Amino acid sequence: MLGSMAGILFDGFAYGMLLFLLSVGLSVTLGMMNFINLSHASFGMLGGYVTVTLMQQLGWPFLATLPAAFVISALVGMVMERFMFRRMYRATDLDQTLLTIGVVFMSIAGAAYIWGTVQQPVVMPDYLSGSFLVGGVNIARYRLFLIVVALVITLLMIGGLEWTRFGAQIRAAVDNQRMARGLGLDVDRTFSLTFSLGSGLAGLGGALAIAMVGLDPGFAFAYLIYVLIVVSVGGLASIWGSFVAASLLGICDMAGKYYVPQLGSFLIYLMMVGILMWRPVGLFGKR
Amino acid sequence: MANMADVLLDLRNVRAGYGDSVVLDDLSLEVKEGESLAVLGRNGMGKSTLFLTIMGFTRLTGGSVSWRGEDITRLASHRRARLGLGWVAQEREIFPSLSVEENLIVMARPGPWNLKSAFELFPRLAERRRAMGNQLSGGEQQMLAIARSLMINPSLLLLDEPLEGLAPIIVEELAASIGRMATEHGTTIVLIEQHADVALSLTRKAVVLERGAIVHRAASEDLLADSKTLDRYLGLKLEVI
Ligand SMILES: Nc1ncnc2c1ncn2[C@@H]1O[C@H](COP(=O)(O)OP(=O)(O)O)[C@@H](O)[C@H]1O
Ligand SMILES: [Mg+2]
Repeated sequence: MLGSMAGILFDGFAYGMLLFLLSVGLSVTLGMMNFINLSHASFGMLGGYVTVTLMQQLGWPFLATLPAAFVISALVGMVMERFMFRRMYRATDLDQTLLTIGVVFMSIAGAAYIWGTVQQPVVMPDYLSGSFLVGGVNIARYRLFLIVVALVITLLMIGGLEWTRFGAQIRAAVDNQRMARGLGLDVDRTFSLTFSLGSGLAGLGGALAIAMVGLDPGFAFAYLIYVLIVVSVGGLASIWGSFVAASLLGICDMAGKYYVPQLGSFLIYLMMVGILMWRPVGLFGKR
Repeated sequence: MANMADVLLDLRNVRAGYGDSVVLDDLSLEVKEGESLAVLGRNGMGKSTLFLTIMGFTRLTGGSVSWRGEDITRLASHRRARLGLGWVAQEREIFPSLSVEENLIVMARPGPWNLKSAFELFPRLAERRRAMGNQLSGGEQQMLAIARSLMINPSLLLLDEPLEGLAPIIVEELAASIGRMATEHGTTIVLIEQHADVALSLTRKAVVLERGAIVHRAASEDLLADSKTLDRYLGLKLEVI
């Protein structure tokens, strides 16, 4: 019993780390520009397909595809921000929602057209397959790998945001855009870079997700829901908030499916409603 | 004849406002290098709007703004700041999630003003350097707002009611610092201030705004002695200072 609980905690945390990578970019850009980008999970899906294509078509090793998934998603994010989203910053919430939901549909149709609607099979390298036992808890190597990658990225991001001048500029732009501009900050460029980084991280999350949750064109929608839960529960523009919210969500989801399967995914929505009733701005949100 | 190169900022027949409402109408103003100018006027007359227009934050529908003879009417706000326009907003607008030190260095640019000289001007900020922007008293916020703008080493500093709502002792201290900035450091200053006496004693020239237009121009010294004009536009009788 205790062993299975520890196992669920571990698996749930690993799953949470996946959700964290997929959503942290949206939390920062939504807090910064108030831009409702529902297509964020589509960048995750793109990263997944980059990895699948490079492995299947070009025979790249899995690890080598991860930076590529990051870079390509980041570049596509940057281009879409520059030529499409940037025009919509002053638009109403409804217009932003409609535009980006349109992008989601297009990304789903595009993925289905190029890669088909089937689940994409990927074969993980040996050193990331299988599992071992630690104190009666079954530790899947791949999930451990996921956790390590996510923790490293979390540290890099928190460090970058807290200790670099660029990080301070992002925080300044989130706090008060007009004043940041008035002091000479090119907020558009800062946002473009941040948006691009966030899209890249989502792409990396998508690439890492395949081995755990699979990949098909439904990904962009299925994970949009999770991403939005993480952002609203964690609070806007808070990396730490996203981290905690994603961990909670991953663990609740796993525990729910294991202990009360008849409730299905319902438990996570209960959790979300409960937390948002207690703290409407999210766990670590300021507004 | 004024040397064109000496003119830092030149507003000609500017009409500007918010959305469809026009606040400034046909306003012309020139600020020369090394000058200090007081902008007076009652509440709601358009003083802050004037600064926002200079920084490019309002909707400008007529006239032009130039900087050192170059037209900047359509230039993005952050580029104006980089050209040398420093702006201290009326609401201070300290970044709450940045520490005092981060507020100072986040957009700092090289020049005579750096952390060391800023802390010399406002020793209180040195003591509070690790405090977050949202943990400061009103006076500390005001000092930080001024120091933060100095850190971008502007050629011209726009100060919007820097003494508003501060305890008398801090008003004195801040006024002295502003005076030193103008005299010792040669920073060109445009100062909006409700306390006309303080503003006029810190500056050389003055303009009075009424409903978005300049209705009076004078040397600060003369205006300070001209209680009739002051009374007419500002509705205040100055005590003998
Ligand atoms: N953001 C805004 N949107 C619309 N009107 C504004 C805004 N800010 C100020 N105003 C209006 O512009 C006029 C001038 O305001 P302001 O420049 O703040 O005056 P002052 O600084 O002299 O007190 C006022 O009538 C005010 O109501
Ligand atoms: Mg004002």
